[in-house]
Amino acid sequence: MEIPYEVKPRRDTGLYNAKLGVWLFLASEVMLFGGLFSAYVFLRTGVQDGVDNPWPWGLNVHKGFVWLGFLNTLVLIASSVGVVFAWVALKERNWRKYQIYMYFVVACALVFMCVKGVEYNSKLNKHHGIKLVDNSVMEGAILDKTDRIRFEGTRAVFGLQGAHPAFLNDISDEKFPTFTATVQFKKDEEPIVTEISSESQLKKWFTQHRRIAARKLTAERTRYRKELESGNAKPVNLNTSATLVSSEPFNVNAKPTKVVGHSDTSVNYRDGSKVEGKLISDDVKFVMHEVDLQLVLPQKQRDSLVWDVIGDDHAKKQFFAKQQEEYNKMRDYYEGRGETIPDKMLRGHMLNLHYIDHEDHGHDGDHGDDPHKSEAKHSASGGDGEHHDYITVPRDKIKFMGNHGPRYGNYYALYFTMTALHGLHVVGGALVLLFFTVFGKKLYLKNPEHLANRVEVGGLFWHFVDLIWIFLFPLMYLL
Amino acid sequence: MSEEVHDWDSHKKTYWAVGIALFVFTFVTIILGIWEPLDLGPPGPTPADYVIGLAVAGTKASLVALIFMHLNHEKGLIYKTLLFTFLFFVSLMALTLFAAADPIVESYDTRETTNGKLTE
Repeated sequence: MEIPYEVKPRRDTGLYNAKLGVWLFLASEVMLFGGLFSAYVFLRTGVQDGVDNPWPWGLNVHKGFVWLGFLNTLVLIASSVGVVFAWVALKERNWRKYQIYMYFVVACALVFMCVKGVEYNSKLNKHHGIKLVDNSVMEGAILDKTDRIRFEGTRAVFGLQGAHPAFLNDISDEKFPTFTATVQFKKDEEPIVTEISSESQLKKWFTQHRRIAARKLTAERTRYRKELESGNAKPVNLNTSATLVSSEPFNVNAKPTKVVGHSDTSVNYRDGSKVEGKLISDDVKFVMHEVDLQLVLPQKQRDSLVWDVIGDDHAKKQFFAKQQEEYNKMRDYYEGRGETIPDKMLRGHMLNLHYIDHEDHGHDGDHGDDPHKSEAKHSASGGDGEHHDYITVPRDKIKFMGNHGPRYGNYYALYFTMTALHGLHVVGGALVLLFFTVFGKKLYLKNPEHLANRVEVGGLFWHFVDLIWIFLFPLMYLL
Repeated sequence: MSEEVHDWDSHKKTYWAVGIALFVFTFVTIILGIWEPLDLGPPGPTPADYVIGLAVAGTKASLVALIFMHLNHEKGLIYKTLLFTFLFFVSLMALTLFAAADPIVESYDTRETTNGKLTE
């Protein structure tokens, strides 16, 4: 069946149908992104008085990312130009040229997504922040996954209900210990004892015994209900917890997000499972880049906890010297107009977020009186052979820590939502354009104008994706 | 469509020009963003910077919409559709203004003001 108005415009609208269709679609897309931009404005304007992690103001925290965003802007603009010329080539009935332009566009999309990948990887794996209990923030990188609680377990207790116990994922991969698993559903029953020597075996064992526990529990409840009718009911009495005892100690690197609390002898998980043994270390090794005191009142900044944790007067001096420098600039600006500096500016990032230089770190030797402080700074060689100066952050001083993923703060939540949604549009658009290029020859030979219209419609979508990025780039990276 | 003879060469020239303009404006954006002498208003990103930054972005976006998306010569129905899009978009952004104009509480720490001076 022929679909009407693919090439010829309809007389009432003056448009071929696909064009009207894509514009209606783009109108709804404007609302989709509009909602997110509106959320951005809302959270951004409320950022000064928030209790959220501070907004990572453009040039301070993500200097390097500005250039990646800039590169991506150029790439997308180039691809937009490419799409227009591909369409013109079709109008001129030049198939070869059309193909070349289109492949260029798809290549641009590929480059865009690769750069995005570099950026995401860097945010998710290389950059971390620690907010201390007094709301001072340190930006930098957590070394060697030391955000995890390093623990040597000998015994684990968990319930035979729900999903696999959380500690299972945290057992160090190097060597899986040999466990003796014990379940005793009732006091007067023989305990069920099993030897387990691998993770898969343990998972299988868990599933089996969870089923047995569920069956026994149902039986017990049925008994209880029946007894309730006769008026003499003994409560449900079934022990559905299991115990693992290992022959030799096993290493657990507990993810802090999964843990409710830990002590020197046990780690308690959110799902109720518990590992007992010996705490190796729960200190966090942190390579510090910036100190951010936006959330600390100016009069409390000199006594902030962050200076105890860093344990280095040099960093403190450096921070306040930079702050004074910025303050002078700001004072000159406002005094030049006969105004005083607004509170908002005093609390802002210009005065309160500064890079701490590591090169001449710790040479002034004036931090020797407190043994804890002088030991706080260490060096370590990372896996990549780089030499890092790191500080040790005691866990009880930390309010929040994490990578720069969506949960780090409102900015990152929005950044990932918006750029990922935009990225999906890039991928989708590129696939459609690629389809028109690889499989378009047949239609081109039959009705080139039809293909040109398809490309125009695909191109409209592509330009729209470019247009969104034109706003995302300054909003996310620069302003 | 009536097979009118199009002058594609003049079109191509326009497209190149727009492409180059977009590149130039991207450089303008980044220079405005990172070069300190062009930091308008008080130091750091402030409303003056937002306005100029978004104005440049708006110019780029209009170029793309008008020339690349052919909105400079489109049929009336599309303009009507976009008029509604525009109205809805404006009201969507206005929602944030309503929220800002009607805060739930005063922010928790603005009470200890420092009167324009850094407190030691």
